[in-house]
Amino acid sequence: MSPHCNHAMLGYMFHRSVIMSSEVLDQPSIKTQVEIAASIREVDFCYGSSLILKNINLEIELNKVTAFIGPSGCGKSTLLRCLNRMNDEIPRARVTKGKIFIQGEDIYDPRVDVARLRNEVGMVFQKSNAFPRSIFENVAYGLQIRGERNSKVLAESVEQALRAAALWDEVKDRLHESGVGLSGGQQQRLCIARAIAVKPRIVLMDEPCSALDPIATLKVEELITQLAKVYTFIIVTHSMQQASRVSDKTAFFYLGEVIEYDDTSTMFSNPREKRTEEYISGRFG
Amino acid sequence: MPGGHIFRDFDHAIRNLKDEVLLMASLTRQNLERATRALIERDIELSRTVIGDDSEVDDLEMKVDHTGMEILVRHHPVATDLRLVISSMKISTCLERISDHAVNIAKRAKKICKGSDLPEVTLVEPLYALADSLLRDAMTAFTDHNIELAEGLKLRDKELDKMHKSLISSLSQQLEEANGKSESLLHLIFVVRSLERVGDLAVNIGEDAVFLGTAQDIRHSSRKETKDTESD
Repeated sequence: MSPHCNHAMLGYMFHRSVIMSSEVLDQPSIKTQVEIAASIREVDFCYGSSLILKNINLEIELNKVTAFIGPSGCGKSTLLRCLNRMNDEIPRARVTKGKIFIQGEDIYDPRVDVARLRNEVGMVFQKSNAFPRSIFENVAYGLQIRGERNSKVLAESVEQALRAAALWDEVKDRLHESGVGLSGGQQQRLCIARAIAVKPRIVLMDEPCSALDPIATLKVEELITQLAKVYTFIIVTHSMQQASRVSDKTAFFYLGEVIEYDDTSTMFSNPREKRTEEYISGRFG
Repeated sequence: MPGGHIFRDFDHAIRNLKDEVLLMASLTRQNLERATRALIERDIELSRTVIGDDSEVDDLEMKVDHTGMEILVRHHPVATDLRLVISSMKISTCLERISDHAVNIAKRAKKICKGSDLPEVTLVEPLYALADSLLRDAMTAFTDHNIELAEGLKLRDKELDKMHKSLISSLSQQLEEANGKSESLLHLIFVVRSLERVGDLAVNIGEDAVFLGTAQDIRHSSRKETKDTESD
């Protein structure tokens, strides 16, 4: 982390799990405090003069899968891109109010190294974007631009990432073949391997399976479920079934606001808000 | 739910499911009423009708399960729709069991009719009236999402339990006195047991209605209350 950010370590560090005091142990039940990976506080976001996101408040839990659902144009992908400042690349797009903390750091602080942030908050897109390079180079790229030159370290890291992405057995004998020669599902897993090779804190996924067949989709979902033991995932999806299968927490967005945010099982069995129930049960609009 | 589903087949399937459950409830109540009437009026033909009509209730139970499965497989319902499918399938099981009790009463009625006149049969009328009202109100709670009505069934069933206990005690005493009526009295005791079970099953339907309306599971709440009292 940048030395400039030390003084910006606010009370939003990762919470410790259990406070081991005798007072607490005497309580009939001890509630484990939830660890937070990212904290979005009162965020407004504009494209030009259009207010796209309004007063967003979300706490993304560590090592959990959080799904963003909602109709098209409601701001899900916009919020996702706020978390790694990809919106910085869009002219006149900006966070106009509020703060986003990752690992206790305000990521919109002017002193933040955006390239480093994007290493720590990786992204997988709807359309897999394997580089027109070898499979090996695709996965090693992030490490190389971070300055890693040791070939042994690179080889080990690439193998580790490809194994974690459940792709190693399929590609280990052809690492120097082009990444774009893989199937759609394999390319998407290659992109996941590329994202996790740099050991990010959070992995953002914008409809990662919408271009995949059902089997490839299930493989990617299974991968997400396994990797969530180590990484934090935020996934934008239009598939209600995918959200209910894969995620631990779900946030329902509508017209730039978070309408409801809860455990996925509660969201899909007994949502609090009428609009949520109408959307998830197909009675919207 | 104010608006219809975007996919009209889904609303159609849900409507079918509800209709099947309501038809099943209607036939079940009819069977129970006829079985009790057959007993009191010594109508063997009516008993036979009840026994024959039970197969229609059995068929409906399978139909409800089939429709429910179809909805789950094809439409992946969530929230209230999901709870409706689950509670419909559970309620159909309760209704099928109530109809089986109606058959039991009808069979016992046939046996009693073959013996000499048994004035004690009229003693079951108040139990039948209460059991039927519990069943009627349980189904109303299901269709109207009336949580208060559903939650009140348990207390009312306790009244039925008291009546059952008292009548069983009285009939058992008479059994000891024998005088040629003992076999019929024994059949009558089983009829009283069946009516008590109808009350329990109506309470179960009420619990499913609460689950449908609020997603709360209120089953076994008396056991939880006992546990809390013991731990105090």
